[in-house]
Amino acid sequence: MKERIAIIEGLRTPFCRASAVFKDTGADDLGAFVVKELLARTSFPVNEIDEVIFGNVAQPYDAANIARVIALKAGLPTSLIAHTVQRNCASGMQSITAAANELWADEARVIVAGGAESMSQIPLIYSPKMARFFFQLAKAKNIVEKIKTFMTFRPSFLKPIIGLEQGLTDPICNLIMGLTAEKLSREFRISRKEQDAFALLSHQKAATAQSDNVLKHEIIPVFTPPAYTTVQEKDDGVRADQSLEALGKLKPYFDRVTGSVTIGNSCPVSDGAAAVILMKESTAKEKGLKPLGYLKAYSYAALDGSRMGLGPVYATAKLLQKTGLTMKDFDLIELNEAFAAQVLACEKAFASKEFAQKYLGQSEAVGELKMDLLNVNGGAIAIGHPVGATGTRLVITLLNELRRRNQNIGLATLCVGGGQGASLALEVE
Amino acid sequence: MSHAFNLQIIRGIGRLIFDLPGEKVNKFTGEVVEELEKLIDSLKNNTEIKILVIESAKKNIFIAGADIKEIVAIKKQSIAEKLAKRGQDVFNKLEDLPFPTVAVIDGACLGGGTEFSLACTFRVATDNDKVAIGLPEVNLGILPGWGGTQRLPKLIGLTKSLSIILTGKPFDGRKAYALKVVDALIPQEFKEEKLAQFLETIANDSEREKIFKRRKLKGLLEIALEKNPLGRAFLFYKAKKDVWKKTKGVYPAPLKIVELLQESFASPLHEGLKKERDFFSHLAITDISKNLIQLFFIGEALKKDAGEKEKIEPKPIYSAGVLGAGIMGGGIGWAFSNAHIPIRMKDIALEPLRKAYATTAGIYQKAGEHKPVPKNEIRIKMHKLSSTLDYTGFRQHDIVIEAIIEDMEIKKQAFRELENNVRENTIIASNTSTLSIHEMSSVLKNPDRFIGMHFFNPVNRMPLVEIIPGKNTSGQTIATTIALARRLKKTPLVVKDSPGFLVNRILIPYMIEATLMAQEGIDIERIDAIMEGFGMPMGPFILADEIGLDVCYKVCRILAGRLNLDTHHIELLKLMIEKQKLLGKKSGAGFYIHNSKEKYFNKDVVKLVHEVQESYNISPLQIRDKDILDRMVFRLINESGQCLEEAIIERPYYLDMALVMGTGFPPFRGGILRYVDSLGIESVMHTFHYLHERYGERFKPCMLLEDMKRNNRKFYEEAQ
Repeated sequence: MKERIAIIEGLRTPFCRASAVFKDTGADDLGAFVVKELLARTSFPVNEIDEVIFGNVAQPYDAANIARVIALKAGLPTSLIAHTVQRNCASGMQSITAAANELWADEARVIVAGGAESMSQIPLIYSPKMARFFFQLAKAKNIVEKIKTFMTFRPSFLKPIIGLEQGLTDPICNLIMGLTAEKLSREFRISRKEQDAFALLSHQKAATAQSDNVLKHEIIPVFTPPAYTTVQEKDDGVRADQSLEALGKLKPYFDRVTGSVTIGNSCPVSDGAAAVILMKESTAKEKGLKPLGYLKAYSYAALDGSRMGLGPVYATAKLLQKTGLTMKDFDLIELNEAFAAQVLACEKAFASKEFAQKYLGQSEAVGELKMDLLNVNGGAIAIGHPVGATGTRLVITLLNELRRRNQNIGLATLCVGGGQGASLALEVE
Repeated sequence: MSHAFNLQIIRGIGRLIFDLPGEKVNKFTGEVVEELEKLIDSLKNNTEIKILVIESAKKNIFIAGADIKEIVAIKKQSIAEKLAKRGQDVFNKLEDLPFPTVAVIDGACLGGGTEFSLACTFRVATDNDKVAIGLPEVNLGILPGWGGTQRLPKLIGLTKSLSIILTGKPFDGRKAYALKVVDALIPQEFKEEKLAQFLETIANDSEREKIFKRRKLKGLLEIALEKNPLGRAFLFYKAKKDVWKKTKGVYPAPLKIVELLQESFASPLHEGLKKERDFFSHLAITDISKNLIQLFFIGEALKKDAGEKEKIEPKPIYSAGVLGAGIMGGGIGWAFSNAHIPIRMKDIALEPLRKAYATTAGIYQKAGEHKPVPKNEIRIKMHKLSSTLDYTGFRQHDIVIEAIIEDMEIKKQAFRELENNVRENTIIASNTSTLSIHEMSSVLKNPDRFIGMHFFNPVNRMPLVEIIPGKNTSGQTIATTIALARRLKKTPLVVKDSPGFLVNRILIPYMIEATLMAQEGIDIERIDAIMEGFGMPMGPFILADEIGLDVCYKVCRILAGRLNLDTHHIELLKLMIEKQKLLGKKSGAGFYIHNSKEKYFNKDVVKLVHEVQESYNISPLQIRDKDILDRMVFRLINESGQCLEEAIIERPYYLDMALVMGTGFPPFRGGILRYVDSLGIESVMHTFHYLHERYGERFKPCMLLEDMKRNNRKFYEEAQ
């Protein structure tokens, strides 16, 4: 077994609904706020950091290699290397496991890792027809040619391609993420009512956590550029007054006629960032630091993209085999709530011997997913899911909650668009 | 004698290298001009030279200009005219050389340097960011006297010339090329190759024509304004109006510049030059010019010496903290972020922190309206700010500046707490404006790292920072704080730890006198108008409204206590704040009502004045304008003398500069003490005795002034 990776401290911004408070704040800005604050709160000597690794899905056009932009905006030295990783929804975990690999290989001693996403700022794209029109116009040599080119213009050229929608669509199976959830709801026979009930619970748990100030330690206040008219202190998607009745009124969003997945029982698109400081356990000891927790092991697994929501089952099965842990060993579990249907499908798949035999090539079920240990402070349905940042949030939230409960071992897992899953085994002591 | 110029001729190309011996910069002294003349005379008939290239051997300097010391020494107009004619004649000879000349500008090229280059056939600049071309004479109360006002408009037209000569603002090579002041812009790293290419270009007839053609190309607006008498009339009318608006007519040089260009634009060169030196000589001997030059010298001295006792290598400052994100804390945050130094603001709630961010962003936003800012620059500077409700991160800071409420006990408590949350060697500075540095430092275990660092409000506009060492402050702490202030693009000045330090100490009695006069029933607008007529940027009551009456009152009260001033003189302020909640501009009303566009007198103040008059039994006063002015100005004079007497500051000319920078005391008067010199100590004492007799004990002149009268001394004797 490899040495554990110490997670010294972790922080995040509030997660906020897209096109709202953070609409003018880039993913790089959000990332920089967190890194800056992380270094200030830990008083960590900047010159001891070897690299910055950030996960990001949408790759903003004005911040190529966003990890480097984040590092410099946060005030880290220009001599610091940085790179960006992308594994869709697991990008914020990928940065942590990529860092772990470098640490294990002794390629670095201290790494700041995290995830940042602004789903507000995913651009609209000109259609190929419009692009062609611009190109012809630029090429036109004289006024006659220019007029001729103008004549080819049709209003339909102006219809933009919505970058966000494209990003959330699997180009292989051609399904938008919501439809993969619809598929699981049918396969595992998860009713609309069950989905809504799960969504309600997520809001209730998150609202309780907010009113109990449970998340205060991990969230930094963000002063919102450009005019700084507000200070955002908490996740703004949580509805304390959410009700089954209100959820029930919503129309299915992805399959409007026969579907059951609504915007109420799915996670909203959001903006946010999170970051952690990582080093080997031995390095932390050497420095006399008291880590928030440890990464013990991780696994990624892949599956059919149209059933991507089951990713956690596949990845966790792999993780258990690798570590010899069983589902009973986990004191707490964070399983990302992309869709209520998807989480409930996972619950069934985890417990199913048949599923294990058919898809995982193992004779016994992976193990029971105890719902009372799952996402105890609410999940993405309430909190939001800035895709590149969520992975890091799950790790931070899980470790903080284990500490609070004086418990030790946790599982952080999520499903990944395109058909993958990620699972991390985390420990506090 | 060693030579300033060195000539080499290689294959028809003459290279004249300017390298003034024993100096860091090239400048035109009398001697240099003479040598240049001889050299030009000797080249007149040289047939070997096909092109003459003129360069500088000084790094980042082409020619810094004429020697200002020679100008300031001139007392007679005829001598000023001679000085101008001398340069004009030599530059004419340069222009008349039978072969083309090329000035290669790779550094500062100011005043006489620019005029020299304008007399060359061609000008080439590099893109070195140290290149600064311009005619800053107007800032010294004069105008370019060596042909600059004549050759520049002929080269680039009137509109651009007026702006260059009137603002005096230098520009870099890229801008110079866009303005067509230079004919080519070359990359500094490839200077030799590109210069050789340029020389080939001008040796070729058709290529050379292209360069001349480029100079002639004018925009539509320029043609409309400059190519017909009506357009020109409008141009000069507008220029005059702008100058008047900016200077209120107290500075003669800008008006003379407009007048000169208007009169000489169409004249042949020799006539224009005659007018130029005539106008120059008029301006050069004025007191205003002497005063402005004197301030320029003081400014230069202050860049190197802030009045500290010993010169010690400063410690580097990588990051800073500030306690209290109010108006001052926020302003300090701006200054650091603008200088790219990370700064962490601490306050007790998020709302004041948010306001500090918003204010800082607003300052950047506003600056961006005048000058386009590269995308993301503001955001990157804003990222230098961070904030906290506790002391997290403070151990990383090299300096922490306290900017919380002006209350000794609260501050002491804050410092005790702060000392436990910073490193042993973190400098702790207080931005107090009224309290004793020594007393504050007494609560620290380690007082040698404690210092006063007094910024003025608004921080983004006020250049002065008072540096106040306490009794135990180390030389290292002083040196580091001075270096930091300079990095923040401020002018630091060391002053003694005493009530109000320097600027407020002198300003407060002046403000109190204004309030007292208001209580005596003298019209507030009249007092403001008189002080603005004297040259103050705003009258005392407008200033009070700007500062905020509550702040003003508090500072007055604290200092009145520490300086033994009468507090009933500011009773009016107290009533305004407590009875009517009049806080000045920030609350919408003070002595004036402020709305978005204009301000007008607040009649409610009259009622309060009557109230004060009744309760203190003050009868309304009839008074001459002169007495109003003298009562205001002589409070400044007396307090300034007192400050010198108490050695709050040692050098009188630093005091003058401090008041110019800290209170807007009119620069054309050269400073309050220079003003005393100009009035003459006899006359000053005479006025003091009159004021003393008529208005009371506070006008009893201080010992220092009495001594000066006895010995018939001036403040500026040694300097002249």
